[in-house]
Amino acid sequence: MSSRGSLMFLLHAHLPYVNHPEDSAFLEENWFFEAVVETYVPIISVLERLAAEGIRPGVAVSISPTLGAMLENEALENKLCLYVSARLELLEKELERAQHDPALLKTVKFYQKLYEDAAVLIHKYSGDLITPLKALQHAGQIEIITTSATHALLPLLTRPEAVRAQLAAAAEDYEDRFNRKPSGFWLPECAYEPRLNSYLKLSGFKYTFTESHAVGGAPNGVYSPYRASNGLGLFARDAASSREVWSSKFGYPGDPAYREFYRDLGYDGDYEYIRPYLGSDGIRRPLGLKYHRITGQGADLASKEYYDPEAALLRVEAHAADFLARRMKQTDDFYASRGTRPLIVSCYDAELFGHWWFEGPAFLEAVIRKIRAERLPLQFVTPTEYLNSCQEPQEIVPAISSWGENGYFDPWVNETNDFIYPAVYAATDKMIETANRFRNQDISSLNVRALNQAARETLLAQSSDWAFLLYIGSHSDYARGRLEAHAAGAIKLLGEVIEKRVDEPALAALEQKNCVFPRLDFRVFASVSKF
Amino acid sequence: MPELLRPLPAEDRLVLLPKNPGMFFIFWQFSRGREDSFQAASFAPEIELRLSYAEDKTAASAHKAPWRAGRAYLPVPERGGNCEAALYAMRNGAWEKLLESNQAAAPAAAVSAGDSAYGSLEFHKKVLS
Repeated sequence: MSSRGSLMFLLHAHLPYVNHPEDSAFLEENWFFEAVVETYVPIISVLERLAAEGIRPGVAVSISPTLGAMLENEALENKLCLYVSARLELLEKELERAQHDPALLKTVKFYQKLYEDAAVLIHKYSGDLITPLKALQHAGQIEIITTSATHALLPLLTRPEAVRAQLAAAAEDYEDRFNRKPSGFWLPECAYEPRLNSYLKLSGFKYTFTESHAVGGAPNGVYSPYRASNGLGLFARDAASSREVWSSKFGYPGDPAYREFYRDLGYDGDYEYIRPYLGSDGIRRPLGLKYHRITGQGADLASKEYYDPEAALLRVEAHAADFLARRMKQTDDFYASRGTRPLIVSCYDAELFGHWWFEGPAFLEAVIRKIRAERLPLQFVTPTEYLNSCQEPQEIVPAISSWGENGYFDPWVNETNDFIYPAVYAATDKMIETANRFRNQDISSLNVRALNQAARETLLAQSSDWAFLLYIGSHSDYARGRLEAHAAGAIKLLGEVIEKRVDEPALAALEQKNCVFPRLDFRVFASVSKF
Repeated sequence: MPELLRPLPAEDRLVLLPKNPGMFFIFWQFSRGREDSFQAASFAPEIELRLSYAEDKTAASAHKAPWRAGRAYLPVPERGGNCEAALYAMRNGAWEKLLESNQAAAPAAAVSAGDSAYGSLEFHKKVLS
């Protein structure tokens, strides 16, 4: 059956750069380990399984440079293996503890398989999970795009040099990692403003994504791509298809059969029993072993019932069918009124699938399989495929917007986090000024190293993650400490270069810790007339 | 309100950032010499932040703030669009312009903005509750 419309899935995978080689068990590194086991491994497995069966997934995946760096970091890979081994060791004990409780035993066995599968995939690729993603892209199964170097919210960087540095570092990082130039760019938090059109185009990107209300007055709403006046392709996120998946209240993830995120063995287990699996501080924290299901809206944590993986999978099938029925209706309605085939662009944070919504990867697989199995008149397309095959998109001027709360920049600029911006700008301005001063000078290799590391520290200070963590009040001290350390680190290094007294041992330690963008040249921050 | 623990380099800076259709965020920093002038009461302790429309440079609004505050939220002027700010301080009864900001574009309000926007926020917030 010929297609009546196209679906574009964009999964944006990002974590802030967290690497603490000085500590064998650093709390915030668990963000990475949990996301690998619950999101990245399951999604890669789904994509590989579909591809092996001749079902082309056709999804787009945005991988932030900071996440890419973590996925390729050997020290983190070693820690990840220890993390998985420790969970498997604990699960062996759990099998014994659950042997007289069939409902619990079923769930424990399920988790054992999850961690075993993770161990197998990690081992298969020698710990480097970029490899399978690269292979999938090379085989034309998926399209991988990038985002700003450290997930900086670009409309909040007023200096063109700072925006250019974020884009240029991201493009170079992508090319090094995936052996080709990037075509697409995911705007962190979908945060758009018109001056980004030219910056993106000048940096070699062909298209980007905007929030729904950015194209509010456009002729086809969110149902077709557009182009900016300079030819940059623009895809607008379809809010409806996102809400069904995103909302824990109104969307699929809130189903009573699905896994409950907030109840965890780390809080439930006997303290002495789980103590070896907590951090060195011994504070109870999630261990990733969550044996209960949501059970019912409003059910308190104590009254949650055991998770039944098979029952959850039945709901996944039902939700995938519902999702596709709604997309069919969307395409039918649009086709009936306009006579053209719509494009539905569904964008999600990848970590929703698996980490937050445990059944998310299974849902993704079910949606893709159903289109094929039931011969639905819908087709998955990647952004480049679509732009190559569609008619010349209409030109529009999108509105300033983001996908954050209230639709603009409130989560990143408010009373909880606005104090960070003087430090971010102090580091950024100093970096630009120093890059301009030394850009054409013949300087020692030690000074070049110091300037390059200062550029890395400046980029890391610009990350939107610190403002967001401060806003939600989660890991606030860590976020503030990181922001301060990066900004102060950049300013200190730049001062040392100017005063010709670079502290080499301290520089080497910083290079080892914040080893993102290995080829970064500090001149990326220098002023360029066309920017 | 949290503050950064480490001192920042003493430089003059006035930065205007977009927040939402109704509000700009602005912050300022002074070089050591300027700060000394405020400390020594050469300048009055209250500064004035003047917003103007970037296109035609016409005045849009003015807001007072203590110089030590270092930051403020300013309502977006009626016409919206591209704005810029200037910081004035009073010396000997006359306003002196000390700093000029970058241009910043205020978002236009969209009816559907709040509805369509989503965030992993609801998940994060539940973690805290």
